[in-house]
Amino acid sequence: MNKINLKELERKAFLSTYQDGLWDMYLGLIVICMSFCLYRPATGYSPLNIVLLLACMAVACALFLVGKKFITLPRMGQVKFGEKRTRRMKTMALVLGVVVLIHVAFLGIQSIGWRNPEFGATLNAFLQEKDAMDLAVATLGSLFVGPSLILVAYFMDFTRGYFIAAMIALAVFLMIYLNQPIYAIIIGILTITPGVVLFLRFLQKYPLHREETKRE
Amino acid sequence: MSKEVGKADLTSLAEIDRLVHEPARLAVMSLLYVVDSADFTFLMNQIGLTWGNLSAHISKLEDAGYLEVKKTFKGKRPNTTLKLTSQGRQAFRDYAKRMKQIFQDFNG
Repeated sequence: MNKINLKELERKAFLSTYQDGLWDMYLGLIVICMSFCLYRPATGYSPLNIVLLLACMAVACALFLVGKKFITLPRMGQVKFGEKRTRRMKTMALVLGVVVLIHVAFLGIQSIGWRNPEFGATLNAFLQEKDAMDLAVATLGSLFVGPSLILVAYFMDFTRGYFIAAMIALAVFLMIYLNQPIYAIIIGILTITPGVVLFLRFLQKYPLHREETKRE
Repeated sequence: MSKEVGKADLTSLAEIDRLVHEPARLAVMSLLYVVDSADFTFLMNQIGLTWGNLSAHISKLEDAGYLEVKKTFKGKRPNTTLKLTSQGRQAFRDYAKRMKQIFQDFNG
């Protein structure tokens, strides 16, 4: 006989909110969006990169919100979780705030250090070759993104989030190091695909209860 | 004091809250106990009851004061939000405690 564990029951109810695959599709689209920004053609960065990135991210965000509101919620219903979940989300916000501060501090120290002739000379000597410089920036970029997303996955109890975090960190690394948007696009598609499968399953599993909602 | 011969002490069984004891209502109360509130569709999907069946159980729990039912509209759609009252939460805790005690007493 299965034991009824109230904590597990709450967790299952919470995890069911990820069954629509929208998070996977949204994050996959974000990776594809990044490819527009981080790709540096021979001519260098252009404002078009930033415009495309912002436009694409706005579309991804709008699609996610519209999907949640008009597809997921009418089919699955709405639930408000208890105090423990709210506290966990607040802790996540706090931890992410600290992580962002660490990133900013790191970039600040780096930029100050670079201006320091002695430190700048040591760094430039170490990163003399273009390859070493790209490798260092790519590693730092993926270290900035990966652990933050792993923290988000942990606090949101989002198991697939660990896979997505690893994929996004890899996408950032390859985009910077190899300077080709194709890697991000492939990784984006690899992230979106499970989301699409889950979404189709979700539509089958949770049909719209039109009659019932009319009678509620 | 020794118990009467041939008469088992089953009085505790009669004290079980029958309103909570029914499996579908127990499922509703268990789920609402672990969340803050949920709407009708969410409960229906999680518990796997039909609309009519769930509606009947909810009415009974609401009449007993265990459930707070809020009917609102989301756009043109009616939306029913359900939440356990403090009385309902206490009833669920008492029920769980009593059942645990009964099963402990069964061990002979």
